[in-house]
Order: sequence, then structure tokens, then C-alpha cells
Amino acid sequence: MDYLEFAKDVVARAVERGVEAEAYISVGQNTSVNVDRGEVEKLSQAGSKGLGVRVIRDGKMGYAYTSDFGAGSVGKTIEAAVNLADVADGDEFRSLPAPQPLLEEDLDIYDEAVVALPIGRKVEMARRIEKAALRYDERVVLTNRCTLISQHGTVAIANSKGVAGSYDKSFIGGFVMAMAADENDRSVAFGFDFGSRLADFKPTAIGKDAARKAVGMLGGKPVPTQRASVVYSPMAATSVLGALSRALGADAMQRNRSFLEGKIGETVAADLVTVLDNGRLPGGIATRPFDDEGVPTGATRLIDEGVLQTALHDHYTATRDGTASSTGNANRRGHASMPTLDASNFYFQPGQETPEEVIGGVEKGLYVESVMNTASINPISGDYSISAKGYWIENGELSHPVNEVTIALPMQELLHNVKAVGNDLTFVPMMGALGSPTIRVDGVMIGGSG
Amino acid sequence: MLPTESIRRVLDAGLTKGADLAEIYLENKESLSLTLDEGRLEKATQGNDIGGGVRVFYGNNAAYAYTDDLTEESLIEAAGVAAAAAENANNAQVCADLTKRESPVVSRIERPFEEMSTQEKAGILREMDEVTRQHSPHIVSVQCGYTETRRRVWVYNSEGVWAEDDRAFIEFQGQVAAQKGDVRQSSATGVGGQEGLEFFDDRDPVAMMPEAADTALLMLDARPAPAGEMPVVITNGWGGVLFHEACGHCMEADFITKGASAYTGLVGEKVGPDFLTAYDDGTIPGRRGTMRFDDEGAPTNRTMLIENGILKEYMWDLTEARRAGRASTGNGRRQTFRDMPMPRMTNTFIDAGPHDPEEIIGSVKKGLYAKRLGGGQVEIGRGDYVFTVTEGWLIEDGKLTAPVRGATLVGNGPETLRLMDMIGTDMALDPGRGMCGKGQWARVSVGQPTVRVPKLTVGGTE
Repeated sequence: MDYLEFAKDVVARAVERGVEAEAYISVGQNTSVNVDRGEVEKLSQAGSKGLGVRVIRDGKMGYAYTSDFGAGSVGKTIEAAVNLADVADGDEFRSLPAPQPLLEEDLDIYDEAVVALPIGRKVEMARRIEKAALRYDERVVLTNRCTLISQHGTVAIANSKGVAGSYDKSFIGGFVMAMAADENDRSVAFGFDFGSRLADFKPTAIGKDAARKAVGMLGGKPVPTQRASVVYSPMAATSVLGALSRALGADAMQRNRSFLEGKIGETVAADLVTVLDNGRLPGGIATRPFDDEGVPTGATRLIDEGVLQTALHDHYTATRDGTASSTGNANRRGHASMPTLDASNFYFQPGQETPEEVIGGVEKGLYVESVMNTASINPISGDYSISAKGYWIENGELSHPVNEVTIALPMQELLHNVKAVGNDLTFVPMMGALGSPTIRVDGVMIGGSG
Repeated sequence: MLPTESIRRVLDAGLTKGADLAEIYLENKESLSLTLDEGRLEKATQGNDIGGGVRVFYGNNAAYAYTDDLTEESLIEAAGVAAAAAENANNAQVCADLTKRESPVVSRIERPFEEMSTQEKAGILREMDEVTRQHSPHIVSVQCGYTETRRRVWVYNSEGVWAEDDRAFIEFQGQVAAQKGDVRQSSATGVGGQEGLEFFDDRDPVAMMPEAADTALLMLDARPAPAGEMPVVITNGWGGVLFHEACGHCMEADFITKGASAYTGLVGEKVGPDFLTAYDDGTIPGRRGTMRFDDEGAPTNRTMLIENGILKEYMWDLTEARRAGRASTGNGRRQTFRDMPMPRMTNTFIDAGPHDPEEIIGSVKKGLYAKRLGGGQVEIGRGDYVFTVTEGWLIEDGKLTAPVRGATLVGNGPETLRLMDMIGTDMALDPGRGMCGKGQWARVSVGQPTVRVPKLTVGGTE
């Protein structure tokens, strides 16, 4: 089936109802393999497909979706979207984007080798993840949820203004939880890796990483409550980026839901801080030629040496702004959801120092390896208080493991207190595609014992 | 949904390669969601998600394949894909006679969603919005949402199980932001249940909005929360989310059978104070975690997890129950037909204890009262957890003296439960906004009376 032609047909049918219309189609094949002590514990495979129809009339928008591509079901879906648009309220800035030229370049997001990977190889890779974790150290007592996921599929978008495009995407990822135990303690850590290309996928590294972290945290204890320097690992630093990306969305700024509202042109961070969003980063998890309403993706410099430059935009927020253009950041979680504004590959620009040099610059402080409850960080107020695990830094070196502490500082201050930025930019694809080098932030409140 | 003969042929196809159990799960989900933002009904979405899958068990392992095309041919194809994974098994099972199961649990859909127009539903959101804006000039943003979901499920397996369920979920959410000068604070709220439009008989989504606005307004002038160890009193109702996260997840059988949970091997052992009793109950009418049958066709139960401080039982799905050679407790749930079931909580709560809630607060010399909690997270292996306090109060000499913002609670679940030294008489279930994430989303309900933990780490900035 030619999905782009199908999308265009759906648009043509919807237009007959006197509306602007957009059809979004997502089709994919998914495999997930779960191993436990070498055995395939759970295996799931299937194809899935879906169509989402968005219609706009007089600035009123309606959306409906279906997984049935039959003519009758498509007709009903269009009908539902049109009826919902009648119920919605009008908004003068609401429209669909017009086509823009798409750049011809290889974004490296589709790998035939992932598509062709036989199930036996997938099982073998899942086993390698587990084996690497269990063999790392005798204190690694078990693994849990050792999973390999592979996906590939097609996205097609067409609208009544003439937008029409499609692309293929592949994905391979692995995940494992390792548990370490000794006489006195047990500890748990995760390892994972995701990407578009088979050649870059390193199952053994996933297992080793989980095992190294779990063993290292054995015997971790809270440190006394105090204000100190905190060095974030790239993974822990994404706790800052996630909330920052939401606060930098033009929707949040236009609607009074961002602690950065009204601050464009102002210094909002230390001059070491440069923040970028790049939807065209070759091989990136969030890379694609155009966003989920068909606007070409691009690279946006949001904070440049501490100065807030611009917000992330989709077609609606750019139209409403009047002077901005969409930065290609419309995003959906599948065919059942309308596009919403979201970051793509969003990251702190790396600096010059090695991670060791960043840690070496701290006399006493906390090296944070992993964090929990980052969803609680509030992009409206800037309130930031999460739990952390890692190591105490003593005279520039990691000493004993630290557990069950909180780290807190309002985001407004945190950004200004960045004192060092490492050269080890790493993307952490657990929450979208956030990337950071090792960073140091001073004056963070550590909540612990006493 | 499909004729019984078709179901039997699909199950037989699942058994062909020697599997010992085959199961079919079919689902038809219809939903409508409306979002009002800046006073405008901005997003209106409607859709239908239909599909089914075949799961094949061989020993302790299982393979699954699914399809969004619900014909006998497609399901037989899925059964073939799943069956292939069991090719080394050598059972010769055939499908038993299918008998439709009955359940004493009532599916409460007295008035279906169609009895109210989309305009009327949008009207409630408009009212929620207006009430909030009129509440205070400092309210700068109001978002309100409505979601209705009708989810019909059919489960069959080759041991003769045939169970059907029809679940209706209705929910309203609200988010409010308030601002004074450069200070912004927000607050979220929600109410919902597993029922039809009779929801409105005893619930009022409009009434929850001024309360949420009050929290945001209060937090504008609140001082930063303290940091360090102190006694913490946690509110009743939604406060039970702490037990759900910090202890409940550690009692789900998948982590137990692996030996990966802090509660592995502790049935019969003391895990909390004598006056602590806790349940997981999937049978309470109208609650978010209520089901007639779980997503594997097992009847739901009222499972006593802890009795007078002694750990009694874990929460089991079919996979883990087979592994342990026992029966499921009706806790096998899946987000959609695309997912394999796993043990999940339903409606989980700490039962009423002996202490007067006012005395509990009165007993604290210097500490924190967590009046509203946000979300949290747990690391199941060790039981370490973290929670956000969205409205906190300082307790000084037994009185609530000042609101504080930005507080977080961290601790270890099993240890917190052991330390818990006061449990109130005021047990309540939450208003119905719980959504639990464990790789898959599931609607849940939580509850507890007011409780006191004498020593907990609070993560503030002071």
C-alpha cells in the first residue's frame, strides 16, 4: 500500500466537507524479546497501523482516529472529526501549515539491517545484554526485564494546503535492570541504549553499564543535609533539560505557563550554557525530515552563552506569535494524538573539559549518577527537587556511594549556577532525546540525614 | 465478538506446536477527550481502537502476537506466529469447552455516555474554567480536560475460560497556574471513576477547581520547604499513593518470583506496626481499578496484603501464578491489546487504624504535613522512593503554622512502613485520578487514613 497516496485520498475526501484537512498515517512492525537466565521469557511481535484525521473550519479544530483503513471506517473518522470541529471554539491563529521545500539529505534514521534482523539474532542480542551484566561482577545476583526492542515503520502526512511527505524509520534498543547484593545491602541500576542503526547498537555495553552502576552503589548512604556543588552525569543532567525543554515551548510561554516567559533577550543562565534543539541531527532518536504536521525540521539555538534567544515553535504558536516561524517541533505520540509542541534532539552544547577535570575541580560535593521523579520538576514555577544517587566527591575524586538524598534548587538559580561543562555530550533516549555532557552546578541544596 | 467455533479454532491454532496453554484477548476501546484552554474548547478528539492478540504459554515462558484486524483468519495467523516460539515444547493439548464466567462484581454503567451531548460535556469544562478564573485575579492559566473511555474486553483460553468485561471510565482534570510578580505556582487536580454518567450523582468536577486554585495561590506566598530528616504526617485519601508506590509495587509477583523485590520471601513476617492492615481490592464498585475480570479472565478479588503488620499475600497475574504453581489473584492487567499482561495493582489502600487524625498532627513538635501529594516513583528492587509534596505545611508544636513549597519526600518503602507509628481512623479512597506507570499505564485507585512517619528525609531548599 502506498501510504502517502492513501493519506492524500483521505484529505481529498475530508475536503469535500468544506474543511481544511490533514491525514497522518503511522504503520510499523514491532518486536520485543524478554530473556531471563538465557531463556526467552516473553516474546511479542506484530504489525500495527493507524490513521489520524485533523480538520479545521473557521479556526475550529476536530480530531479523530482509527486503526481500520477500510473505506467505511475512514468515512466515519472524517465525520467524527468534522462533528467535533463544530463543537470546538474558534481560534484565529488555528490553521494547517503550507508546504515548504524539503531538504534532500541522508538523516541516517533508517537502517535496512535493523529491518532484516532475524528473530534469532534479536534473542541472541537480548541474551548478550543479560550475560554481560551477570558476568561483570559476582555481586550481580540477577537481572530483570532484560529486553530487546526493534521497530521499523513509515510515517506519511498530507494536508489540504499541499503538504505531502513520508519517511521510513528504524529503531533498535535494549534495556536491563541489574541487581547487586552483598551481606549488608542490595542495589539496583538500569542500563539501556537505543538508536536507529544496528552497527551502533552495543548490547554488551548495556549489561555492563547496569552492572557497574549497581555494584558501585552497594553500601550507599545519605550524606548530611548541606548546600554543596553537584556534578551531574549526562544521564542525571537530563533532569534539568526535560523541564527546560517544556519551559522553552512557545505554547507554555504564550499561555503563562513557563518560568522563562517574557525573558527572551535576557540572560537566563551562566555564559557556559548554550542549549540547542536539532531535529536533523544525523542518526538522532528524534531526527526526521519533517515534524508531525509536515513542517521541515531544523536546528534552533535556544540559549546562546546564557542569553535566551527564542522559543520552540509549531505552526500554531508561530502563527500566534506573528513574527516567528515554526521550528519544526510539532510532535505526536502516535496516530491517536493531535500534534503538540515538543523538543526534538535537545541538548547542552559540550565544553572543553573532560568529565574527570569537571569532577577534579570540586573539593567537596556530590557526583550524581542517576535521579528519580524528574516528571515532578515544574516548568511553570521552576521548582526543582528530585532524588539522587551517586558518589561523594572528596578532593576532586569520587569516594563513597551516596543514596536516598534529594537535590533541590529553583531552575532559575540552577541555570545561573552552572560552573563547568564537560566535553562528553551523551544522548539519553529515555525521555525523548535529551543530551548533556557532565555539568557542575554550585550551591545545590542536598537533603539527607540530620 | 467472534462465534465460539472461531474462538476454538484460533485457540487450537495456538496449541499446534505443543504449547500448554493458549489465550485470546480481544478489545474494543472507544474514547472521547475534550480540552479547554484559555477559555476555549481547543482540542476535541474521538477514536476507536480495536484489536486482539493470541498468547501461547510453554512452561514458564510465553509468546504473544497481535493484530488490529479482528477476523478469524488474522487471529489464526497471530496464533501461528505465537505458537512458533513454542516449537520445542511437546504437549498435545486441545481446547477445553468454553464456559462463560460470571462475576459478582457489578460493571456500573447505568447511564451510557451517549446520553449527554458533547456540547453539554464541554459546558461542564466551561463552568470549571469560569469558576476558577473568578476565584482570584492572580489566576493566569486554567486548563480543563474531560475524558471518557468505553473499553470492552473478551478473554478466552484453552482451559475453557471465557470472560467478558465492559468498563466505562469517566474523568475530569484541571490545572491551574497563579502568578504574583515573577513568582508562578501551579496546581493540578482530578476526579474520576469507572462508571457511566451516574458519576455526576455524587461527584462534582466544578467544585474541585477552586480548591486546586487555592493550593496554587497559597504556594505563591509559601516559603521554601526545609531540607533534612523530620517527622512527616501524610494526608488521607490520595496520600495512599505513597503506600502504592513504595510498598505496593514491591508486592507485585513479577518482582517477587525473580527475587528482585525487597518483599521477596517475607510472607508471614512482620513488615509494619500491629495496627497496619492493607488491601488490594479490584471489586469496589465505581473505582478506577475495579474490574469484573482482569485482562486474563480471572475474577478480581479483595486481597489482604498485610494483616496487623504481617505480610500475607502478593499480587499475582497468570504468568507468575503458573510459575509459582498457584492461582492468580486477578491482578493481570494490560494497557491495550498490543501489550502483554503483568501483575498490577487495582484499588490499593491502608485500612483505618486507631489514631485520631487531629492527635496525629498534634503529636508532632517540628515536622512537615503533606496535605497534597503529586506523583512519585519507586525503584522496586530496593524499595527506594521519591514523592513530590504539592502542598506542604510546617508543623510546629502540634499546629500547622506555615505553608511550604517545593518539598520532596525520599525514603525506602519497607523501612518507612516499619517506622510508621500512627495510623488514623479517617480512611478514605482518593477522588479518582490515579494513573500508574510500569512500562504500561493502568488506572488505579489509592487510599489511606492520615499516617505519621517519625523520620523521613524532606528535600527542600532551606
